[in-house]
Amino acid sequence: MPTTLPTDPAFDSPASQSAPLPLGQQLVANGCVTARQLDLALRRHQSTGGQDESAHLVGRTLVEMGCISQAELLGCLSRQFAQERDAYQVSSDIPPVIRLEQVVKILDGRRVLDAVDLAIPANRVTAIIGMSGGGKSVIMKHMVGLMKPDQGSVWVGEHSLGRISGRELTRVRGRFSLLFQGGALFDSLNVFDNVAFPLREKTRLSEIDIRARVMRCLEEVNLVGMERKFPDELSGGMMKRAALARALVTNPEILLLDEPTAGLDPIIENAIHYLICDTFMRTRYTMVVISHAVPEIFKWSHHVIVLHRGKVLFSGPSREVMASPDPVIRQFIRGDLDGPIQVI
Amino acid sequence: MIDLIGHIGSQSINVVREIGRMFLFMWEIIISLPVPPYRWTSFLKQVHFIGLRSLFVIALTAIFTGMVLALQGYYTLSRFGSEALLGPAVALSIIRELGPVLSGLMVTGRAGSALTAELGIMRIREQIDALEVMGIPPLKFLVTPRIEAGLLVVPLLTVLFDVIGIWGGYLVAVRLLGMSGGTYFGGIESSVEMHDIVTGLIKSCTFGLIVTWVCTYKGFFTRRGAEGVSHSTTSAVVLSSVLILVCDYFITSIML
Ligand SMILES: Nc1ncnc2c1ncn2[C@@H]1O[C@H](COP(=O)(O)OP(=O)(O)OP(=O)(O)O)[C@@H](O)[C@H]1O
Ligand SMILES: [Mg+2]
Repeated sequence: MPTTLPTDPAFDSPASQSAPLPLGQQLVANGCVTARQLDLALRRHQSTGGQDESAHLVGRTLVEMGCISQAELLGCLSRQFAQERDAYQVSSDIPPVIRLEQVVKILDGRRVLDAVDLAIPANRVTAIIGMSGGGKSVIMKHMVGLMKPDQGSVWVGEHSLGRISGRELTRVRGRFSLLFQGGALFDSLNVFDNVAFPLREKTRLSEIDIRARVMRCLEEVNLVGMERKFPDELSGGMMKRAALARALVTNPEILLLDEPTAGLDPIIENAIHYLICDTFMRTRYTMVVISHAVPEIFKWSHHVIVLHRGKVLFSGPSREVMASPDPVIRQFIRGDLDGPIQVI
Repeated sequence: MIDLIGHIGSQSINVVREIGRMFLFMWEIIISLPVPPYRWTSFLKQVHFIGLRSLFVIALTAIFTGMVLALQGYYTLSRFGSEALLGPAVALSIIRELGPVLSGLMVTGRAGSALTAELGIMRIREQIDALEVMGIPPLKFLVTPRIEAGLLVVPLLTVLFDVIGIWGGYLVAVRLLGMSGGTYFGGIESSVEMHDIVTGLIKSCTFGLIVTWVCTYKGFFTRRGAEGVSHSTTSAVVLSSVLILVCDYFITSIML
């Protein structure tokens, strides 16, 4: 087996970087639960023998003990996230995980990417927004080497994707998990097998462990009871959520989500945003979310990149994009027909 | 005029490029063969899909081919008073020629087109990209088992075709036209040689490779949506049928 996915629990809470507090202590610091409740929950959690992904289970144990409701827990996490988001600054302390340098991509004679420079900060949530057809999905495919730039280079960590291949490329890709815009679920497998697929192929977990992990992911995206359905029997939104579960199941370091909320009703859209936030707070993955959910997405991301006409128009903290005086960005946020972008 | 020459030139370049890409495709599959893991379950699934589910069409084609050969052969041979040669005539045409060719063509129509469409849909729905991102080589995962299954199954189907075809000839010659069974089978026994059977098997292996190679290649490199899938399915069926007939001629001329 050339590579294995990071199944080591250490990957679940990378203690590197700014070393955020463990989830339980964050909750206490935030006044969501008392230290005593947390202590009880931790003890109860340990007595049931849980170690793997404890952060997630501590939250759940708290919910089970009735200290806090699930909605309160999510609300609490999102408040915590909001504080971090508002304190976020673009700085050289945060190393970029993915960098595009002067990337040019010509597709069917059109310059879809026209010298794009961008950097995705490590262990933060970055949103990429822009017009439909503006090349967001194309950028995402460049980040994992599915498309090669005509000019320029793509860096993941210290590797330039153009210069590596074979085993090394597979290893770099092992750090990623991707949610494709269309879901890309395998038609011949049912939902359960689809979500279990990367675990079965790339890890040596036992079928029992796989089952537990898959069911937990399905529970998170609210698809319990749909395991035996095939992709063509699902609604568009269910398909998106199943694909999201498949992206989350492998504990990647970097999560690329192409429109995780497109085509979902407002309640589920909100739930997915909470899920993304919750996942981030537990795991501190580097996340890239391509989204049309403007302006909600600004609430859920540290960093925002605005793409326009194949160039990066803006890249910075999400609170700044709201205040940007740029007429294109203003029009985009408000959805005006009138403005520098002429659509009709 | 210049336009015409330019058009012919660019078409020829495209053809050469396509041939090159097909061989590169094959080369990548060959070098990935010794790399574990071996996917026995998907191999067996493909054997089931290409082989088992083609059984009925093959049997049907075979029996009618044998029957019509016997009918035509009897009519022709009886003009020269050599009806006794009917058995060898039917058996040799089937074993050397019609068995491999018709099995190849039937597998192309029944399984090859489905292979192309399946892979084409996986390509346009980004499922192949998804495999690649997960670090699972899509060629090894999707294409290799299909080609291996084709190499195994088409010769087996051909053997079946031969047997049923000869039996179909027997039905017409003996049951319908009143030849003696001993003459029919005796003639076959004394005239069919190992060399004929080997020729047939070599052909059928080649055709098995051609069908799965062309069809998986066309499916794997499908582009542009649903229309692209239908386009690659059509061109896969046409190309592999033509290649089967062309290769048939060359193998025959070499092995004769
Ligand atoms: N494989 C391809 N071949 C040719 N052109 C392509 C290909 N993929 C994308 N394009 C073109 O590149 C442009 C950008 O496409 P992309 O899918 O990145 O848009 P997007 O920003 O993701 O839009 P949306 O928000 O609608 O998903 C489009 O004009 C599209 O036609
Ligand atoms: Mg897109």
